[in-house]
Amino acid sequence: MTLSEEQNELFLRHLNGQLGPDEEAKVADLLRGNAGARAFLRAVAEQAVVVADVERLDQHKPQPAKVVTAVFRPWKWAVAAAAAFVLLAAFVIATTPPRHAAKVSDILGPCQYIAADGKVRDEVKVGTVLRVGDTIRTRSSSAWVKLDLNGGSLMTIAGRSRLRLLNVDGRRGFQLAYGNLWATVAQSAGAKPVSIQTPTATVEAKVAQFDVETHSMTSIVRVNSGTANVVRLADGQAVDIVADHQAIVSARRSRPFASARQPEPVNEWSCRLIAGSGAVFGKWLPPDKKNSVRLGANPLLIGKKTTIFVANLSVQCSSSPPVLIESGSRVRIRGTTRTEGPVYFGITTQRIKGVFFGKYTAKVEAGALGQAGEPWQVEVPLSQFKPKAKHLPGSPVGMELADIWIVSPKENAELEIHSVKFLPREVGQ
Amino acid sequence: MGQRDRVSAAAWLVVRDAHAAEDIFQNVALKAMTKGAQFESDGALMSWAFITARREGIDWLRRQKNAPVCLDETILELLEKEWADEALGQVGGRSQALRDCLEDLPAKSRDLLKRRYFDGHACEAVAEQLGARLDAIYKRLSRLHQALKKCIETKLEQPAG
Repeated sequence: MTLSEEQNELFLRHLNGQLGPDEEAKVADLLRGNAGARAFLRAVAEQAVVVADVERLDQHKPQPAKVVTAVFRPWKWAVAAAAAFVLLAAFVIATTPPRHAAKVSDILGPCQYIAADGKVRDEVKVGTVLRVGDTIRTRSSSAWVKLDLNGGSLMTIAGRSRLRLLNVDGRRGFQLAYGNLWATVAQSAGAKPVSIQTPTATVEAKVAQFDVETHSMTSIVRVNSGTANVVRLADGQAVDIVADHQAIVSARRSRPFASARQPEPVNEWSCRLIAGSGAVFGKWLPPDKKNSVRLGANPLLIGKKTTIFVANLSVQCSSSPPVLIESGSRVRIRGTTRTEGPVYFGITTQRIKGVFFGKYTAKVEAGALGQAGEPWQVEVPLSQFKPKAKHLPGSPVGMELADIWIVSPKENAELEIHSVKFLPREVGQ
Repeated sequence: MGQRDRVSAAAWLVVRDAHAAEDIFQNVALKAMTKGAQFESDGALMSWAFITARREGIDWLRRQKNAPVCLDETILELLEKEWADEALGQVGGRSQALRDCLEDLPAKSRDLLKRRYFDGHACEAVAEQLGARLDAIYKRLSRLHQALKKCIETKLEQPAG
């Protein structure tokens, strides 16, 4: 029986590991009962291995030698003169320091572009080309920018992040002053390695997929494919980080610096606020009678005359293993607000061992927070988180949790956070 | 070459990684050579090769973190049986036809297949690299696979020579 295009696509999504249990069951049923379905799947498998085989052979194919007969033709002198001119121009270009560029390919939320000459633009559009010396900032926890570095290489910064293009010899240089970056450095003809400087490390990669979370005293580098070379700026020590490994690069020499295997994902996370390591944005408040740990929201200017109040907590910075988002996962947060009004919970997600995926937010109405000034505990199921962009699926199930943030739009709410937990589905759910 | 493609393809259905599938085929071939005369027929050899490739594939999956969901073994057996049942004479021709059809593809289409199956990128990464929507990538891949399937059938129907 012939399959519809939708059915064919269902098989491709199955092979891409994108289906939920219901759709997997549908695939299994189709394969059991439909010879056409099995023929399509077998054809895809054969084509996949033959594509790889043909590409493998092509990459090892020697270039055929050309035999040129020496025949004098006057027009060749003109061609030779033109070629000499081109060579001269190429020499001039080659001796000029190479400059790389990055094009904004996707953008969401408040961002700021600061050109090398100091001009500032608060509105950045898709297609904007960043050149050496230019800076781009994502200004809110919910913002992100994707950059196309040419030749299949891509970079995403998200949350509160600041990235500048640097002029580094023989490299495509970047400075990540703070924030989160996901990079895919693809192999392509003539492409230079990517070099990323953070306050504590230099990360270089020729072909790799990796992510970097950086703050003033620490950078965390996780490599998911390929290899990245990481230098600790505190002492010049260097390590190669291969796929599935990570390194924490501290400004302090006394901290260990080595490549370690990435831990296995877990399905829950309790941000250890008491240890203080998970909070990446906010201010510590003195303990009071009811709470020994209080993280106050910090003001964040996200545009002209617009300030929000944010506390942000990072999974990686809390030394947790990767946290897998499952169907039925829940976010439970304890805190207080001094006035009545809504708060917003947000989560940043990335693919397991992969690139940035997207951001999801949930609005918690004032009614759910109880009486103003009294501590509240709110549990929001994953199903209530909505995607921040149209292209995202309705749910981030199967992704990895990168961080959680809590926002109040009002200063007088004096939002403070006492506990943040990401919980697995309830037993029996 | 045709049998090699099929055993590799059967392994690929388990591991979804063309390079791992090739390694598995090499291991299976090595094991087959050391087993030598133990097979009564080509059919028995192929049947053993499919089972061994599947087992090696499942072992490979166990060693991976976040491995893809593997199809039920009864379905894999069904697929392998259909592969084994195809007339041996046709197999080499199909394999060459597929290679010829790939050669005829436009550069853009071949690039898409290369990114997905040779570079081993997930569809989401391919979409990101090409600045396309994920749905569009699935659609293009689906049409490409169908087109290649038809191309092979057309080439096999043409009289030789």
